[in-house]
Amino acid sequence: MLPEPYQRTLLLVVSALLLCLPVILGPYGIHLMNLAMLAVIGAVGLNILTGYCGQISLGHASFIAIGAFLTATLSQRYGMPFWVTLPASCLLGALIGFVVGLPALRFRGIYLAITTLTLHYAIIYLLTAYQTAYGAAATAGIVVEPPRIAGFSLDSDLAWFYVLFAFAAATVFIGLNIARSYMGRAFIAIRERDVAAATLGINVTRYKLLAFMISAALAALTGSLTAYFTSVVTVEEYTLELAILYLAMIIVGGMGSIIGAVFGAIFMTLLPFMIDEIFQYLPRQYRYGTTLFGVQHAVIGVVIIGFLLVEPRGLIEVYRRLASYFERWPFRYREMKGG
Amino acid sequence: MRLLRSSILAIAAAAMAAPATAQELKLGYVTDLSGPLAGSYTPTWEGFDIYMQARNEDGGIAGATVDIALDDDGLRADRSVAAARKQIDRNRVIGIFGLSLSSTHAATLAETRKSGVPVVTAFSAIAEALPPAQDYYYSTGVMFEMAGEAIAELTGEIAAEGKVVGVTFDSVGGRAALTHNRLAAEELGYDWGEVIFPVRTADFTPFAQSVNEAAPDVVVGHYGAEQNLGMIAALRAAGYDGPYVIASYGASEATAAQAAQQAGSDENIYMVSRFAPASEEVEGMQALRDAAAAYGVNNPTSMHVTGWVLGAVVADALERCGTECDPEGLNAALQETSVETGGLTGGPITFSGDDHYGTSYWRLYKWDGTNLVAVGDWLAKDGLDFDIESN
Amino acid sequence: MELVINTLVLGAIYSLLAAGIVVIYKASRVVNFAHGEFAVLGAYLYFSLSQAMPGVPAILVVVLVTAICAALGATLYHVLMRRLVGRPPFVAAMVTIGLAIILKAAIVIGWESRSVGLNLTRIVLIDYGRGFRLTLIEAITIVTCIAAFTGIFAFFRYASLGRQFRGVAESALLASQRQVNINLILALAWALALGSAVIAGVLFGGRSILTPQSVFIGLSGLTAALVGGLDSFRGALFGGFLVAAATYLTARLVDPSLAEAVPFVLLLAVMLWRPWGVFGTREELNRV
Repeated sequence: MLPEPYQRTLLLVVSALLLCLPVILGPYGIHLMNLAMLAVIGAVGLNILTGYCGQISLGHASFIAIGAFLTATLSQRYGMPFWVTLPASCLLGALIGFVVGLPALRFRGIYLAITTLTLHYAIIYLLTAYQTAYGAAATAGIVVEPPRIAGFSLDSDLAWFYVLFAFAAATVFIGLNIARSYMGRAFIAIRERDVAAATLGINVTRYKLLAFMISAALAALTGSLTAYFTSVVTVEEYTLELAILYLAMIIVGGMGSIIGAVFGAIFMTLLPFMIDEIFQYLPRQYRYGTTLFGVQHAVIGVVIIGFLLVEPRGLIEVYRRLASYFERWPFRYREMKGG
Repeated sequence: MRLLRSSILAIAAAAMAAPATAQELKLGYVTDLSGPLAGSYTPTWEGFDIYMQARNEDGGIAGATVDIALDDDGLRADRSVAAARKQIDRNRVIGIFGLSLSSTHAATLAETRKSGVPVVTAFSAIAEALPPAQDYYYSTGVMFEMAGEAIAELTGEIAAEGKVVGVTFDSVGGRAALTHNRLAAEELGYDWGEVIFPVRTADFTPFAQSVNEAAPDVVVGHYGAEQNLGMIAALRAAGYDGPYVIASYGASEATAAQAAQQAGSDENIYMVSRFAPASEEVEGMQALRDAAAAYGVNNPTSMHVTGWVLGAVVADALERCGTECDPEGLNAALQETSVETGGLTGGPITFSGDDHYGTSYWRLYKWDGTNLVAVGDWLAKDGLDFDIESN
Repeated sequence: MELVINTLVLGAIYSLLAAGIVVIYKASRVVNFAHGEFAVLGAYLYFSLSQAMPGVPAILVVVLVTAICAALGATLYHVLMRRLVGRPPFVAAMVTIGLAIILKAAIVIGWESRSVGLNLTRIVLIDYGRGFRLTLIEAITIVTCIAAFTGIFAFFRYASLGRQFRGVAESALLASQRQVNINLILALAWALALGSAVIAGVLFGGRSILTPQSVFIGLSGLTAALVGGLDSFRGALFGGFLVAAATYLTARLVDPSLAEAVPFVLLLAVMLWRPWGVFGTREELNRV
């Protein structure tokens, strides 16, 4: 994984820096990073499904919603602690992922995307009915108490930073391992030509379903953590726009690359806030109004199109080019190995 | 443990805080300034803003000038939370006001409560403001459930009996409003029908025809300003010419005017609102009109009045809190609120330790082609009449 | 009776939208997710133009805005879509999604998220009281749909350009070797798509109010095209009316709040039965 010694040192240095990040950033910055790390978990999940396995899914937002709602229900209605709700959400996510994956076996490409879109609407419709039936208290959303460990309640941004960092790191680690394993190679084979993959002895059905299940489980985990983090679960937050945002994350980051998903997630999460900051420099009358909103939205579209046209391999490719430039320097190209 | 931690944080924060420049009271305002409902929320902000500007010019509040940090949440809960966090940490505000859609309130509240910063919302409200009230959350806005009940009672001014058809879109809040409307209307002896359409409906024709088919004597619309326009056009096209009541979740006289234009006629358009339209000749309105003219707000509406009243309530609390006001002090002061509005709404805005909503006043207005004119008197609502069970 | 009329009108609009999607797919195998945005943007443009030219009769403004949008479509192809030739079809689809986002944002920026009423004629042709009404605009909508589809069928069967079009759709490489100007044909496809979109948008806006949220009709149009078959105009006509009928009947007779989900359920059912649409050509589904 890290052939060159300098890469191992780099990893250690970067990790140490990341852990010390809260000191540099203010509480607001920490909050933003927390949002980004939540997105990382979901983005890695989507990348496994769409980037590695090639199954286009527009249903990611509904998986996140499922995780959030189950967590809210279990923790609020049944008083279950987080170490029950989190795994439970992942399991339910995997189950729903399995169900959604079934029609996927029949379809590819655009038809698959449409199928997942239909299922997204179905799930959201059911969840809306659920939230309405939950009770008058849920009109504005189900309130979720922060998770507790031995009397210590997790509700400060700083504490969340380290918790989410752990989750994100674990997710990336799992993702990288999957990518390098037989499963990952099977996924890639299916993406390239599933018919050919079948002739190579890969059980296409099983791996497609697995991809859906893993992706949905990670999405549900994101939803579950988000429920605790924002303390509120309401169905209006889980829109098609959210699903498209996640797709944008993996396109920008680089499809088929776990680290790329990390880049993409951080980039797309922070983008609206960066635009906000830029707009602050404009005179008051231009600062607000529908223009700001329009620009923030347009930017997502511009970024999608821009990356697809110019850098279809995503930010990870930019990183690789930079890395190899420094590795080769001062030479222009790599040496040939062997005779 | 939590007290110790927050004390340490508070001391650290105070130590790191830059001293306020020459007696400033820092307030935060977060709302939807750029999203789909900006047309409703921006005027409310303007009303608040011109009130504060007028007070600043007049010597400030408790001897200090008010400085407002404004942030946009684009109607999204996560941005509302991020904006609140930024205002508390970077701008050091002692209170956050405004907010937007009720679905963003709970999340934002969870965030502001961590720092003990009180929130007063102007536009929508969630039931947490009713007794037993949640800490740090107050509202002068429209609560779905309350609006539903108020409208049922005010329907009496249009028709003493008959069939009422309530229409809403398929959202949790809309359904709640409709439920309370139904319960109250049925108790008053009305027949009830309802139509619920998907949130993103672009073509209202089938729903309007369902409404028409139910043969209503009065139709009530519980949704945002925009849907009223589409619905009334479709209703008139379907052949329903009877009374149509706009429930004001952000609708104002401007909405009524546009609705009349869409409908092709000024007839039978009503609105129920907590605050008077700017054309009303009451004592408190002149100050608002003067401020609007002075600070470049053309055509003030009942939405500006909403923001103005919020400004008055906040200013009153600040006065009692004093120049060195901090979040705890402001929160304590808010709990003793009793502010006269000079006719801008039916009675004083009152908050107490247990009740952060107070008695709310609602009135029915009719569109006469140029203005909204009051029909009947103010209706006082002191809490919800119906309690929909549950957990 | 009004059930029939409204279904016909809605069906006409959906069919028109579906046709716009089909024309692009037929020529280039690209699924256009931005069609609803095209339609609504065009309708907003119509609004602004008609405000800017108060004396001019509506029909002329419609012609003008259609011409503008057609030109825009051709430009869009030339500048953007042309560069995606040879890339996996998923890429083109994602680009249209990105385009949809940008166009919707453009509407929000350009018209400040305002709802506008197009105020097309309010003339009522037949009025027998509650439910028995036919307005002029509804009649025009249905007639336009008939005229448009007649034109489409005629064009593709008889006009030489139409035959070239079919050639490009079959095999672009072979067509180019027979001196068919591929770029011209594809630009024409995009121009036709945008032109028909704006007409559909204006007709839609004439029935009710227009807001940035109206772009949702694009999804209905896409569903209609998928149900009928992405590469079949007959399918577009059929799909449009089927989706309209299903939506309308559900909204009126079953439960209004389900109306949004009906097109998708219908689509899922059709796809499970015949994935390439009722009238579509059976194709290796590995296309995209």
